[in-house]
Amino acid sequence: MIKRNDFQRPTPNAQRPKRREQKLFILTFLGPALALYALFVLLPAVNACRYSLLRWDGLGTATWAGLHNFGRLLRSGSDYLPAIQHNLFLTFVPGVFILTLALFFAYSIHQGVRGARLFRITFFFPNIISSVATALLWIFLYSTSGVGLLNNLLKRLFHVSQPIAFTETHNLLWAMVPMIVWAATGFYMVLFLAAMENIPETYYEAARLDGASSSHLFRYVTLPLIWDVLATGVVFLVIGGLKMFDGVWIMENGRPSPETHTLSTLMYSRVFEEYNVGHGTAIAVLQFVLVLLASLISMRLMRRERLEY
Amino acid sequence: MRKSFSILLLLGLVCASCRLQRDDPGRGITLEVAVFEGGYGIEWHKQMARQYERLHPGIHIDLWGDPRVDEKLKPRILRRNPPDLASCGLPVWKLIVAGKLYPLDAALDYPAYGQPNITWRQSLVKGVLSDYQYQGHTYAVPTNLGCWVCWYDRRMFRKHGWQVPRTWGEFTHLCDQIKAAGIAPLAFQGKYPYYAWATLLSLYERLVPFERWYRMEDFLPGAYTDPEFIHAARLVQEMATRYFEPGALAMTHTESQLEWVHGSAAMVFCGLWLENEMKNAIPPGFEMACFPVPVVEGGHGDPHAIYGGGGEMFFAFSDAPHPKEAVDFLKYLLSMDPARAYTRQLDTLSPVRNSERGISLSPDLQSAVDVMHASSRLFSDRIDTLFPEFTRGAEQVGLADLLAGKITPEQFGKELEAGMEDIRRDPDIYKPPPQGVPQ
Amino acid sequence: MRRAPFGIGSGLCYLFLAAYLVAVVFPMVWIVYSSGKSTQEFFSNPIGLPHVLTTPSGAGGRTLTGNYEKAWVGSHFSRYFFNSVKVVGISLALILLLGSMAAYVLARFEFFGRKLISILFLCGLVIPMQLILIPLFFQYADMSDLLNRLFAPVTLFGGHLVFSLHDSHAGLILIYVAASLPFTVFVLTAFFRTLPGELREAAMIDGASEYRTFFSVMMPLSKPGLVTVAIFNFLGLWNEYLFGLVFINSDQLKTLPLGLAGISMQAQYKSDYGLLFAALVISILPSLLVYLVLQERITKGITLGALKG
Repeated sequence: MIKRNDFQRPTPNAQRPKRREQKLFILTFLGPALALYALFVLLPAVNACRYSLLRWDGLGTATWAGLHNFGRLLRSGSDYLPAIQHNLFLTFVPGVFILTLALFFAYSIHQGVRGARLFRITFFFPNIISSVATALLWIFLYSTSGVGLLNNLLKRLFHVSQPIAFTETHNLLWAMVPMIVWAATGFYMVLFLAAMENIPETYYEAARLDGASSSHLFRYVTLPLIWDVLATGVVFLVIGGLKMFDGVWIMENGRPSPETHTLSTLMYSRVFEEYNVGHGTAIAVLQFVLVLLASLISMRLMRRERLEY
Repeated sequence: MRKSFSILLLLGLVCASCRLQRDDPGRGITLEVAVFEGGYGIEWHKQMARQYERLHPGIHIDLWGDPRVDEKLKPRILRRNPPDLASCGLPVWKLIVAGKLYPLDAALDYPAYGQPNITWRQSLVKGVLSDYQYQGHTYAVPTNLGCWVCWYDRRMFRKHGWQVPRTWGEFTHLCDQIKAAGIAPLAFQGKYPYYAWATLLSLYERLVPFERWYRMEDFLPGAYTDPEFIHAARLVQEMATRYFEPGALAMTHTESQLEWVHGSAAMVFCGLWLENEMKNAIPPGFEMACFPVPVVEGGHGDPHAIYGGGGEMFFAFSDAPHPKEAVDFLKYLLSMDPARAYTRQLDTLSPVRNSERGISLSPDLQSAVDVMHASSRLFSDRIDTLFPEFTRGAEQVGLADLLAGKITPEQFGKELEAGMEDIRRDPDIYKPPPQGVPQ
Repeated sequence: MRRAPFGIGSGLCYLFLAAYLVAVVFPMVWIVYSSGKSTQEFFSNPIGLPHVLTTPSGAGGRTLTGNYEKAWVGSHFSRYFFNSVKVVGISLALILLLGSMAAYVLARFEFFGRKLISILFLCGLVIPMQLILIPLFFQYADMSDLLNRLFAPVTLFGGHLVFSLHDSHAGLILIYVAASLPFTVFVLTAFFRTLPGELREAAMIDGASEYRTFFSVMMPLSKPGLVTVAIFNFLGLWNEYLFGLVFINSDQLKTLPLGLAGISMQAQYKSDYGLLFAALVISILPSLLVYLVLQERITKGITLGALKG
């Protein structure tokens, strides 16, 4: 709620300099942020749309290409459509696990299991580590040479003789699922836990008096009342999945193949390795459109009656 | 007071992004040289830089290296700030066509360092300059001469009484013997499927005469659906599915080579940089030797040719501050004395002719030199640098699938053909005129 | 404490929780104690404890210190660490300062174009960084050229000023700040709206200028909001990789994620796993310490952010 400013009333002369001073104040306070934002975010964003309509290698002169770049992208056989599939895969498959686990953990902690504090503190930690460090850690876990932890455990405990090539190109995306779940679940757990702790105790008491079991409580009390936060979480997940770069880049040693490219890595590759700026920016523009669409769709799907309490 | 604070802050940031560069006419010029720090390291390069500085007091050389040097240079070239010389993987042809590389002909047609009666061009092994010609100019020169061979653990072979194979039949028989002894026959750098490309092309060469092989290099239609090419692909697939070390497809080059060096595998296909690359990890007493890619029985190709040629190419940039001086340093790097030092230190070969004469080579390199001297000619593939889209696209995916046994050799050929057709149709990609079989 | 213990299947729930706890903790622990191994040990004993712990002797200890020394000094991790501190620290300071200044004005003042500017900032929330990356790359090159040309006639101390937004901390900080402003302004605007207007009026009557009012009265009151914003931004910037990859080339200027990615390549070439593990530990350790110390604050911050947003 904006409080109407006193200075909006007709100003007597004595207050004129104050008005100018206020204008200056607004300018100096708003100016730098606005300037930085306009110069380094808005301007490039507009230029991105312009570049995507050009045929340009970044080295020489650019020529007009119209929608040629977009056409090349959406053609069958291009790398682009598989890349979107990879992004969607990396959004939904880990997403399902993340949401389920996060809800489960949050609810358990909320219900006061023993050691709740320990769980809450440790589960969030993987979120703090950089995605580069996480990717490296999991490369070691998955390694097929003598170093790999998982393959060694499989050999010792389950007598699996052949090491599994987890990070081989065909398996890479699947291998990333546990990694993403491991890294992200803690954050969503904290999010949902916060929402759950906001629910007044009275709802639970009333339901319990009616004889509701634990799982009933969850389905009919907790879940509806945290729905908004859950929806926010889903939107975060979707947007994050569409932007995935670091994990794939590191695990593929900076050279993803068409079977593992995501939108971001494909964009980087097109521009900085193949010197095809028009193409790369077209990918970025389409990615932006996708992010927008995905956010809107997610929000719509998750929409429900606002529950006020 | 406060209002000027934020403005000052922003100005400060702008100023922070600049540095003071003194013009000092007395100091001379600095050349920046960026080198791919891989199997051969950069010690030799640095030493040669110091020697060159002693010969030319006005010049300072800032030579640095990195395994990911191309990642660092590509953006720099794009923003018009390249080094003076670079040696790494780059989209070379795009740069050549856009005029970003500096032609070397002026220096090539002048007398070589230390050999005043021949030109620099004449002092190099024949054919190493042919890959990067455009409109009559040469744009790159290699510092290394190598070939693709199969390295084996000599001690292990001696212990088990195994013989070096000459034909493909002998090779597969040997692999079966090795497998029966409980050792993996072949290590493979699976994370980089293109390590199998040279083997594949070598096998193809064994099967067909050069006129047919070079059709592939001229990216003529139907090159990849040639039945012999598909046969070569089949041989590679059999080798991969039967004889590669389990788990090899997920290993990086150093991982797999480490496995070989520690005795988990008996052989590995690689170039001549192998020993240098694994220098720090080779256990004492390890002996290695090589043999060429086996001859395929019934093949019509030259059984004595070897896949190889110039490597570690150096380029000069036209946007750089001092291209002429840079090219002069390059000329020095590829003259007799530095080349001899190269061979001595790195146990590998230089494209400067006769530079290995009189140097006592290690047994490993000697076996490679013997292989090269016994060969009739060198041949190599230029598709890699011409069409990175193809290499990174259809070739990489196809190879990975082929090696994993997921597609048939026929499908492999079709995929490559489709990939190359895309290239043929793409107006943005430069395609040089066909060159046939180079002489 | 709070509720009755969990219902049926509580044993199963504990199992899940415990299993996840192991999955989170064990890899970390493994990395830490494995950093004391030499490459040979890695191949002979990948899972077990390193020699330095099982047979405390000179060799084991020397491997451990050797690995860490190679990482901290030889591979320049000290440098990467301080670079990260510098870049993220300065960015955060500017984000908080400029963001709160802009948010304050947008929240509590009426002026021409206020609504437009608010919407402009909101748009930034949907613009992904990937869209800006490529145009900004060329923009930085062009801006640097422009500045260089402007300052060409200026001679200072016998030399010229050479500007480069690329490969400089300043360039990185500028984009970090600009890109973080939309989110920051969004959260802080909502925050400032909740502050009572009487405080400002009281301060004005006391003769304080607008500036004074802001810095002495409003800012301290908005600490919870500032903390939330700081935490979210810190998490995003400390681990940022893509922009650093594109804009920073020199080794001296690399931040921690870039250094870690770079060293993973080098260590692979040198086949030195001990070094790599030590580097990984060095990267993770500061985050771990910061987390353990501030963990309450962090989770509270996320809670607040999620529920308000």
